[in-house]
Amino acid sequence: MSEFLKSRTLQLIIMISAFLIVFVPYFTSIPELSTFSTKLITITAIANAFTLVLAVYSQFRRGINIVQKRRRGWYFKVWMMLSIVLMCIFALLGQDTGPYHWVMFAIINPLSSVNYGILAFYMASTCARAFRARNMKALFLLSAGIIVLLYQAPLTGAFFPGIQPIALYLNNTFAMAAARMFLISVTVGGIVFGVRVLLGQEPSVIGVGKEA
Amino acid sequence: MPSLFTIPGIINGRFLGLVLDILIAISVIYYIRSKKQIFVRRVPGLDAIEEAVGRSAEMGKPIVCSFGIASSGFDYWTLAGLAIMAHVARLSAKMGVRLIVPTGGSDQSLIVRPVAEEIVKDAYTLEGVGDHFNPDDVPFLSGQQYAYVGGYVGILQRLRPGSVVMTGSHASDAMNIAETSNAIGAITITSGSYLSNTAALACASDYILIGEEAPAASAYLSTDPAQRASIRVQDIFKWLSIGVIILGLIAVAMGSSLVTNLLAT
Repeated sequence: MSEFLKSRTLQLIIMISAFLIVFVPYFTSIPELSTFSTKLITITAIANAFTLVLAVYSQFRRGINIVQKRRRGWYFKVWMMLSIVLMCIFALLGQDTGPYHWVMFAIINPLSSVNYGILAFYMASTCARAFRARNMKALFLLSAGIIVLLYQAPLTGAFFPGIQPIALYLNNTFAMAAARMFLISVTVGGIVFGVRVLLGQEPSVIGVGKEA
Repeated sequence: MPSLFTIPGIINGRFLGLVLDILIAISVIYYIRSKKQIFVRRVPGLDAIEEAVGRSAEMGKPIVCSFGIASSGFDYWTLAGLAIMAHVARLSAKMGVRLIVPTGGSDQSLIVRPVAEEIVKDAYTLEGVGDHFNPDDVPFLSGQQYAYVGGYVGILQRLRPGSVVMTGSHASDAMNIAETSNAIGAITITSGSYLSNTAALACASDYILIGEEAPAASAYLSTDPAQRASIRVQDIFKWLSIGVIILGLIAVAMGSSLVTNLLAT
């Protein structure tokens, strides 16, 4: 029985059935199928929440193992486990006020914002490297980059009003065309990838061992 | 505008999408079954992975590979990232390079992490060096995106890997990682999973997988002709898209909205 439950064929049957239940209602207007599909998505979300509990359990098991063996950085694992327990307790006390709210809004969110802000400097250093007029193509890139950059700056419109139509033209023609090319290729690639997953041909789904 | 294809109670629009999906599926199955020997163009980003692992081996440094923050769980970018990671893991195990896979970045990543760990473990076992697998090299950094980035960047700066392969569903965190990787002198291979990331990542990386190259990575990397044949479908439908675009341009120029209406269904 356990061999049957672990079999690849059964996994594929479940995967294809779930796919059809969600896929068909998208293209048709049969209310019964839509209701069934919505219910399946809800069930999946609930099952997902349980897998999250299992994932936290696996983190704890691994963390305890590291702490017991006093492996490198074991105290961080103690901190992680303590944080998980405390945040669970805080969340049960209420999420809109109290300690949970304080941790989220006074510690986690500001720290995340700082990290997000640093992104601007990373972008600047990337641009500084990329925007070097080494040849004619790079010169075009540099010129387009400067025009769009200046257009995005708050006061440029006041000082150089003529830059707006050029920047908009670059954005709405070249950038838009490239973006749509990207979307088309990603969509086609995504559909082909999906079919390969449903056929059981993807190693990340069926496991590396089975691919060999 | 009324839909061109309406069967009351059964189909109301979206017909062409369904037809295209079915056509693509049939074509993929046909090409996989036919096992045709087809020419597959080289993808520099994927070819560079072997070079990146080799470089790390020569330098005696580790390689860092990630599959994204998996904010939607097992979405197709994450699965594509895992497929590339599986390839990197096998190469690393073969060449005796220490592989580090930072995981985390979202709550859903907790679900993907055990699968990633199993993939790396399987790769080591398949190469006959199962005992070299160290679970500590697949660390879970944080469920928060930017705490994960902090941990990831910290790993890069402390361990100074020879190469970094960052694929899958990385979002705004990708730039921090790619730029740090560049700053420490590692070969940086990335995949632009988000449109807004792609241009910046192309500047920050040594090699980038654009568009469908990442989802098709496992087929590109496979030695099985049937797998590689499925790539041909992508090319066919890309050419078809170009044809439809040109047809639409001509039709609109002639004052006809037939192609526009057709695509809207």
